[in-house]
Amino acid sequence: MIAGLAQRLLGMRPAATVPSMDGALRPNRALDEAATLAECAAPDNLVWQDDHLLFTSGKRVLLLDSLHLEGEPEQILHFDGEITALAAAEDGSLAVGLGPSGIVMVGGAHDGRTITALGGRKLIAPTALGFSDPDTLFVCLGSDLHPAADWQRDLLERRATGSVWRVPLDGGAPACLAVQLAWPNGLLLHDGRIAVSEAWRHRLLDFPSRQRGAPRVLLDDLPGYPGRLSPAPDGGAWLSVFAPRTQLVEFVLREDRYRHWMMQTIEPAHWIAPSLRAGLSYKEPMQGGAVKTLGIFKPWAPSRSYGLAVRLDRDFIPTASLHSRADGRRHGVTSCLESKGELIVACKGDDVLVSAELAQEREI
Amino acid sequence: MTSMDQAETLTPTAAAKRPAARYPLEALVKWRARLVPGHVLGEIMSKQWIDSAVPATFMVLVIGLFLIVAPGFFTGANISDGGRQLGEFGLVALGMMVVIMGGGIDLSVGSIFALGNFTALALSNLFDWPVAAILPCVIAVCAFAGLINGVLIGYCRLRAFLTTLVSLITIRALVDVLLLEFAVDISAGFYDSAIWDFAGGGNVLGIPTSLIVLIVVAVAIHLFLSRSRLGWHVMAVGGSRRSAHNVGISVRRTVCFTYVLSGALAGLAAFLYAARLGNGGSYPGAGMEIFALTAVIVGGTSLGGGRGSVAKALMGSIMVLMINLGVVQMGLQSGAGQLVLGIILLLAIAIDVRFIRNREKILSRLYMSPTYFRLPEAPDAEQPASPYALNDRLEDVSLIGLGKLDGAEDVIFDKDDNLYCGDRLGNIVRFEAPDYKEGKVFAHIGGHPLGLAFDKQGVLYVCVGGMGLYRVHPDGRAEKATDQTNRSAFSIIDDSRMRLADDLDIAPDGRIFFSEATTRYDMETWPADALESRGSGRIVCYDPEKNTTRTVLRKLVFPNGVCVETGGQSLLFAESWACRISRYWFAGPKEGQVERVIENLPGYPDNINRASDGNYWLALMGMRSPALDLALRMPDFRRRMALEVAPDEWLYPNINTGCVVKLAADGRVLETLWDIHAENHPMITSMREHKGALYLGGILNNRIGKHVLKKADPHWTATASYWGHR
Repeated sequence: MIAGLAQRLLGMRPAATVPSMDGALRPNRALDEAATLAECAAPDNLVWQDDHLLFTSGKRVLLLDSLHLEGEPEQILHFDGEITALAAAEDGSLAVGLGPSGIVMVGGAHDGRTITALGGRKLIAPTALGFSDPDTLFVCLGSDLHPAADWQRDLLERRATGSVWRVPLDGGAPACLAVQLAWPNGLLLHDGRIAVSEAWRHRLLDFPSRQRGAPRVLLDDLPGYPGRLSPAPDGGAWLSVFAPRTQLVEFVLREDRYRHWMMQTIEPAHWIAPSLRAGLSYKEPMQGGAVKTLGIFKPWAPSRSYGLAVRLDRDFIPTASLHSRADGRRHGVTSCLESKGELIVACKGDDVLVSAELAQEREI
Repeated sequence: MTSMDQAETLTPTAAAKRPAARYPLEALVKWRARLVPGHVLGEIMSKQWIDSAVPATFMVLVIGLFLIVAPGFFTGANISDGGRQLGEFGLVALGMMVVIMGGGIDLSVGSIFALGNFTALALSNLFDWPVAAILPCVIAVCAFAGLINGVLIGYCRLRAFLTTLVSLITIRALVDVLLLEFAVDISAGFYDSAIWDFAGGGNVLGIPTSLIVLIVVAVAIHLFLSRSRLGWHVMAVGGSRRSAHNVGISVRRTVCFTYVLSGALAGLAAFLYAARLGNGGSYPGAGMEIFALTAVIVGGTSLGGGRGSVAKALMGSIMVLMINLGVVQMGLQSGAGQLVLGIILLLAIAIDVRFIRNREKILSRLYMSPTYFRLPEAPDAEQPASPYALNDRLEDVSLIGLGKLDGAEDVIFDKDDNLYCGDRLGNIVRFEAPDYKEGKVFAHIGGHPLGLAFDKQGVLYVCVGGMGLYRVHPDGRAEKATDQTNRSAFSIIDDSRMRLADDLDIAPDGRIFFSEATTRYDMETWPADALESRGSGRIVCYDPEKNTTRTVLRKLVFPNGVCVETGGQSLLFAESWACRISRYWFAGPKEGQVERVIENLPGYPDNINRASDGNYWLALMGMRSPALDLALRMPDFRRRMALEVAPDEWLYPNINTGCVVKLAADGRVLETLWDIHAENHPMITSMREHKGALYLGGILNNRIGKHVLKKADPHWTATASYWGHR
């Protein structure tokens, strides 16, 4: 109570801190050392379909031959809007999230079906999709207010309007599994439960996948904003952390007046906000440790963007991680997928798809 | 000014599409920042004398308390008598203070006082010596007692507490034995001397003699502690014995000396006491060590040693004496006085310890005080039509001294084409013409040499961050030109010393004008000044002929580059955080005037130098970001950021992208050279044109870049432009 009073009266707030990257999250250069698979604009949403690797790039769905994962990706689908989420079912059908245009089913029994509203709510930001079987689709809606491209605004406005849905495609009403989430944008089905990454609260939640039930915190206080989840072959999961938390952003999130006026008067690219790729324009905010000294940009420099993929064990405890640090060129990891001892990582911030060999020692 | 309009119309920025909005209550924030000098509090806290604030407050409280509870306390007789007692007691307390500052403690002052009292009485009443002999003799006897303490503690390394405790007992016993023998004779004797009576009961201008003596001794000890070598040694030994020993101070002798001084002062006090009362009893000086100790501690002198002052000891003495007398006056029992004293002692120590321990913390929270600063809308260099439009022209550079240099802020050429630059190690490095392959240390100054300029005789003048203005003769001999200027009348921090001399230029008459970026921060803490954006820099003029230094312009926002214009009557200067260039007339009809040349640069200007075509080169060390521009309008936001975010995570001016701008004397921007990918020159702090090429320096870089200019005069040199000889 005294601390609260001091905060109120004297403006003495505790320091704006973020958890340090330590233990299993100790920084390395694994993503920067990874081999390039393909270079294309904003790769995202990696999924397997019949031994083919599918991913999205803007409005397109691309395919890479899984056997050698080489050569030019081949375009298999094209939509009118940006693709924000993608999922593949066992029967080969795809669910494609198209932002405010809703979710479109491609192939399979439900081909052509479009979902534009769930539970009376118009879809704004479908951020993650997943099938438990070809007839049951799980949907993360990041926000009821802002489309996926406006995720920075959703964070800076400190919104928590996201929800998670279970949609039976063969009839029946969609079930809402959770509401008031702060930008849920990754899901993973496991043992009758669904794990969801709640980005703005830097944590992973878990609740029953059949009906509404009490959520459980799997992992919290992450040093970045968690994004998509994908299953690992031997159980556990891979978590894409699409942007780092920084002290400055945490501080700005406390500063209502500044934040408000920054959003009112400054272009989003130049905000003090996490980003998939920072440092593209001189007008972006720069922090002290990022000053180039003797010609070197320090890897530990505070950066609004970062590259991080985290290996989680069956209990969702981090066991290993792959990094691209502040000076790296593999930032903004939005999606990753493990296959045959390799991790395929979509670095949306740096427009590149890479494949990192998973060395045994990194598994710990 | 036309250029600005031009730039504005050419570059409709994204923000310009929106109205120049003010956030709610912005005007209030602005006026508050203007009217409330927020930096003053922090500057006061940074003063050394703030240590005395706690005891001073306490003293005022004690005086106030007695004014209330004992209204008759401050009457003439009381004050006069109290003053006399204070004179004696204060001397003892001063001696105790010096011992404690040296890291020791002297419990024997009371006994030595008694010994001195006895000696004085015996010499006067029994032996009838003249006063001129009694005084030195008493002091010598007491100093000798102190010397025994000093030898035992200083040279034999005995514990101060135990040793002086033993002295307390033995000297007291000795005095008792002597009194047994001579008390009756002393009481029976009579000493008739006007000087003796004057010492005991006289006044000078209404002030008791002993108080006069105290004042004289206090001033002497203050000067001794603060100005003399031995005084500094005492503080050094008290602060850290081992460090003092390591730097070559004779710790033993210094410690010994403090006890001798303490003994001598107790002797002087005893002489005055003897002259006042002629008391041959055994109680004089009893318990005095406790009172003296209390006075010193209540005054705020640290028991740990190394910290303290005469003023504190005197304040403590006044408090202790007043409480003692006041308690008697109020008719309380004599034990009550000690009780009150004990409680006060406890309180004072508690407060003092907490204050001292947290002082730096409080200071670090208070010192930085950002102010309101609204920059004009920035021209958008990302618009291709802008005169500042981005390009990669500076990517075509050849590098000099790559990896061997560390922080060549400025570069310059002598008349034989040799290149000079400073580095972070305090050297002036010289690269020989024509290939500039080998860099050799030409002179070592120290600090961080920043701006450079050659005078008519070929003497290199250097602004050295952290030191001042220096000059290096052609034979490599370095000497100080000036490191202080006249102190401003109302400045709280001492702004006479140079903290961050930055860039300079030399007028035709030989006067040197140089900028000092800030008087509030140092070389390494400039980001704090950037966050403050307060006008705390200045331009200073040094006249080598008269060897005088005067501040000519004050309250500039990080003044940086200085360049004397070809007309020889004016100079251009850049204010980095204010993103503007101004002209100052130092001669001619407009002498003393300042006019703006450019008001809204898109980045933070650094050095300015002459170009071969009569225009000027300007380095922009970094670029403005809208997020910081907005933060500058919210001082509280920045203050809180400084407190809640680690310095490495602060929002900075973006100094990772820089450029070189060519501007005309009227402020028109003619062209801009960028290294937009920041491969070689992320932060450009200086550029110097020489024989058709532009040489680039960077304070955080490890190289100098040479960029060949296509359209420049291949024979032009700056030395010829300034001094004409070639």
